[in-house]
Amino acid sequence: MDFSVIIDNLGYFTWGAYPDGPLGGAALTLLLSLLSGVSAGVLGLAWGIALVVSRGWLRWVLVGVLGFLRAIPVLMLMFWAYFLLPILFHVDVPALATVVCALSLIGGAYLAHGVAAGIGSLPAGQWAAAKALGLRPGQVLRLVILPQALPIMLPSFLNQWVSLIKDTSLAYVIGVGELSYVATQVSNRVMVHPVQIFLFVALVYFLFCSALQWLAHRLARRVPSRSHR
Amino acid sequence: MFGELLAPRYLHWLFDGFLLTLGLSLLVCVVATGLGALLYLARTAPARWLSTPARLYVLVIRNTPLLVQLFFWYFGVTALLPEALVTWLNTPRSLALGPVSLDWPSFEFIAGFWGLTLYTTAFIAEELRAGIDSVRQEQRAAGLALGLRPAQVWRHVILPQGLRTALGPLLGQYMNAVKNTSLTMAIGLADLSYASRQVETETFKTFQAFGFATLLYVLSIAVIEAVGQLIQHSRHYRRGVA
Repeated sequence: MDFSVIIDNLGYFTWGAYPDGPLGGAALTLLLSLLSGVSAGVLGLAWGIALVVSRGWLRWVLVGVLGFLRAIPVLMLMFWAYFLLPILFHVDVPALATVVCALSLIGGAYLAHGVAAGIGSLPAGQWAAAKALGLRPGQVLRLVILPQALPIMLPSFLNQWVSLIKDTSLAYVIGVGELSYVATQVSNRVMVHPVQIFLFVALVYFLFCSALQWLAHRLARRVPSRSHR
Repeated sequence: MFGELLAPRYLHWLFDGFLLTLGLSLLVCVVATGLGALLYLARTAPARWLSTPARLYVLVIRNTPLLVQLFFWYFGVTALLPEALVTWLNTPRSLALGPVSLDWPSFEFIAGFWGLTLYTTAFIAEELRAGIDSVRQEQRAAGLALGLRPAQVWRHVILPQGLRTALGPLLGQYMNAVKNTSLTMAIGLADLSYASRQVETETFKTFQAFGFATLLYVLSIAVIEAVGQLIQHSRHYRRGVA
């Protein structure tokens, strides 16, 4: 197999048109997944805590919204964000922000139940003891519950990040120049060797994802041994 | 923004897209479940030459984006296949079975079905493995000690318990399959997402077009969820739990 098409376009695959144009390629894929991973983590944590502390109709609304976000395809949510964000904010929202917004909503919705389960896995005595010490509810959460629950949740955050890396490829449909988009561009331009191009791109994604997965596995193995102490 | 409803013609487009989404997901789920069971068997086989490739397959499929896989099958493999086969696959023809005639699917459909099935298979095999592995080894030993043959142990001891555990995650994978069909629009298959985009560009009624499509997706997911609830509350299912 002739892989010269990869070598010739290696810079374009890695950086896109940068520094003469916008950042693209694998670097943009990493950037998108990093941004949406962090905001999905924050959203997931907030929603998960809200799931634990809210009662009554508020909780049902939250469960409904989270269920809705998980029931629609990521692609559909990207269309919605692409269309609704400019209407809501009355400004031109860059496509990049659209992608991050859609991915963090989806990622957050998937994480929320994991966070709630992580908090729920702590014995009830922890809440009672912290309250007995005179801590306010916010302090109980911040000083007692979260420091214990976060290490338990960490692997699921990393796993969610792995799926976010894969989902950034959907930014293709709204024309964001990340790795998959760049790949189709190159493939359309040279018109030969599509197999090599897509194999190479798959390999890059594979390396990103499996490196993270490996990290998640290692952390998952370490966490229980610490809590048994 | 809200305005009036869509003209019947556009509703028809959306409905056609929905039917294609449903048909494709159903086909993918059925075939991927069969292949997933085979992959599970290969994955857990004592023979290395079976288990190692199976493990690699699962690893590669799960760690690369579905979109790239679809591009690979649609753009990449077409370039590798012999010209005659591609022409043959592209030729429209229909199969007449008495009163019903089945049209030969488009090349996009074949590529989409192929890519989605291979993707879903890997996930289903892993859910099966997780479910069946959750049945403790002692169960197998106890079954054998009772004088059951290995096949009987599988049929009466392991599968009923393992599949019960796997049911929830499996239904989750079926839901994912429905949602994942939306990616086939990137290779030009006129599914529900494709139709909603098309209606949107044609009518500029973005809210209605996307809203209708979203509703249909949520509806199909809700139906799968409801089926799962029905199974879990059925007498047959609960008998084993008690």
